Amino acid sequence: MLYLLLVLFPISMAASTFVLRKNSGLVIFMALGAVIAEMLIAAQIPLDNPSLFLGVTLTLNALNRMFMLLFLMIGGFAFVGAWSLPHGENFVPIGLLMLSQVSAVLLLQNPFISTLLLALTGLTAVLAVVDLPAGTSSLVGTRAIAAALKYLVLMVVAAILMYIAFVLATIFRIGELPGRISLSRFILALLAVSFSLRLALIPFHAWLAGLVEHAEPLVAALVITLLNTSSLLALLVAFQTFPILLTDNAGPLRVMRIGALISTLLGAGLALGPGSLRRAMAYLILYDCGMVFYGLASVSSIGLAGAVFGTLNQTLAVLLMLVSLGLIERPDGRPPGMARRDLLRRWPVAGTGLLAGSLALIGMPPLGGAMSRLLIYQAAGENGWPELLALLTATLLALLALIRTAHERLLGPSEDEATPEPLMLGETELDRPAPRRLDPEPRSAAALTLILMLICLTVGLYPGPLLTTIDAAIHELAFIRAL
Amino acid sequence: MQINWLLIAIGATATVVLLFRDWRLTFPALLLNYVALAFFLAEPRFVTPDISLIGEMNTLVLVKLITGLAVTMILTITALTFSREYGLENLDEFGLAELRRAARTAQRYRASQPFRMSDYIVPFWAGVLALFASATLPFVYAIAPTPAADFAWYWLVLTGVLTIATASDLLKIGLGLLLCASGVDTLYTAVESTLKEGGMNVIPLALLSQFHILLALAIAYLCGLLYGRLKTLELNELYKR
Repeated sequence: MLYLLLVLFPISMAASTFVLRKNSGLVIFMALGAVIAEMLIAAQIPLDNPSLFLGVTLTLNALNRMFMLLFLMIGGFAFVGAWSLPHGENFVPIGLLMLSQVSAVLLLQNPFISTLLLALTGLTAVLAVVDLPAGTSSLVGTRAIAAALKYLVLMVVAAILMYIAFVLATIFRIGELPGRISLSRFILALLAVSFSLRLALIPFHAWLAGLVEHAEPLVAALVITLLNTSSLLALLVAFQTFPILLTDNAGPLRVMRIGALISTLLGAGLALGPGSLRRAMAYLILYDCGMVFYGLASVSSIGLAGAVFGTLNQTLAVLLMLVSLGLIERPDGRPPGMARRDLLRRWPVAGTGLLAGSLALIGMPPLGGAMSRLLIYQAAGENGWPELLALLTATLLALLALIRTAHERLLGPSEDEATPEPLMLGETELDRPAPRRLDPEPRSAAALTLILMLICLTVGLYPGPLLTTIDAAIHELAFIRAL
Repeated sequence: MQINWLLIAIGATATVVLLFRDWRLTFPALLLNYVALAFFLAEPRFVTPDISLIGEMNTLVLVKLITGLAVTMILTITALTFSREYGLENLDEFGLAELRRAARTAQRYRASQPFRMSDYIVPFWAGVLALFASATLPFVYAIAPTPAADFAWYWLVLTGVLTIATASDLLKIGLGLLLCASGVDTLYTAVESTLKEGGMNVIPLALLSQFHILLALAIAYLCGLLYGRLKTLELNELYKR
């Protein structure tokens, strides 16, 4: 029954926090308590001990437990961030509901149920995208509604394609319809498109750019970290359930790899172009999504380990980036509506967090992404030097994009150091306006940013324990053994 | 040759959703579509009766009927309460002025958009295309256990996709998504019921119904927000600003 508790407890807490949503502080404390309780339960559940509930098997393996703890941690960090960063009135209840849904995805190893749960998470996320703070005096932005609509449509389409693919996979028998295009290729194509939509691979990426640009950073962070990562794990379950899709499809897998390469290159290239800070970050995330999908599509133990490690890194790096972005975008006491160039000086912790998160996403050592990149490059090397070259080029482009963004927005000289003008005739020091005092970064959010940076650094410096767990889990996968 | 009236009802109601823009027509059509689909899936080749209410029927049919009723009620209540204003007391002068401006723009737009037959040409030919594809695909790529079930799910998914593609307002997009979901629901129920002799698993069925209802809620919520903001559901107004 601990399995059910993991799923149902956050739902009950979401209902309670929804009732108390006007009292933001209390709600955040309740949510943090729920997250800690969930982490304790998840840590105590025995591994690989399946239990049957209404004809469906619930189980937790080492990999899924690692990700469940990570999701809960991310949820907890997001709730801490909500203390000082802007968020909607219903952010905490929706966050708890999403945590419950992704926990269910990790526990229920059934592709049909996972698909429906992923679709439900998408619908829940839509509510968060258009959520406004309590008692706000402004109207919800039309761009936010458009972003939510785009996300809703694309996630439902992805779920429908995924569901059709799984129904086809259920009835698929090897050797049927000889002489015609194998059904398994069609199924793989459906799965590739549906998961590309969920993981935001170019050209199915429209929702991610809109979400990062028009939703609150904390909402975007939860959607990208929890929902994208759980989608990737659901894809692993799908491959595990239907290994024939991989063993029968060497050619289509190559096409998937090339698609991922193109997505990676275009994501990095778009990040290099002009645009807002948010858009640049969105494209860097797209680049990383392509990189992770490449590792997955390589269907080798090294590539998969790289993909899973990359997903873990993406989860941490994206949260760090978007929390930092939320801090940077706070009203800073200076005249609004101007593109600032000195954000690192004005917000030292947030600016450093943004840089560190972006570097981790690109895979720069000593941060968390380095190990995953090494594994993915190794997998690409096994598939031939053109693929490796394409990945390295994409990383170079992403790095250039980050340097450009940092140069334009973060590393400029301080805009507050006004040269003292001489006193005018008859003017005294007392006649002059008091020097402007700008507020420092909020302590809780700054501490959160520092902790996230520290975690990214620790994962980068000591990847061993995580890699051992990931490696062991991947070698247990039936389709890896079959290939 | 026996005429399958339920299949005709599914086809006709989905066509109404594809062709027409007025919710007073499309919502009853959606409800009838759910009812026809529920009774279509009640055929003994898919499920065996296990309860006796009005007649012998399967619980699955009852679940589908309740789902359809819930979905239609959610959308209808939303449509009936579009004109109500919520949360105006918190808005500042700028927000109120923007709302007044949006109301004027929407009124002007409605006045300049009389009934035009040309608005129905693209959906009509899209419907013809969907009909052709749905009649052909069950013979080219049969998936469901019967050609009728194949036609039903192909038709629902295709009309759903084409409704989304030809939609000019948010509500039509939502109806298209619901039709697509119904199509997939039909395919899954038809295939799983044939494969599993001992009865279907309750959790995917419950989640499918929950998905329909939550999708309707999400659409209703977005429609309410958009109407409250722009006094129209037109997508070109949404993307104009």
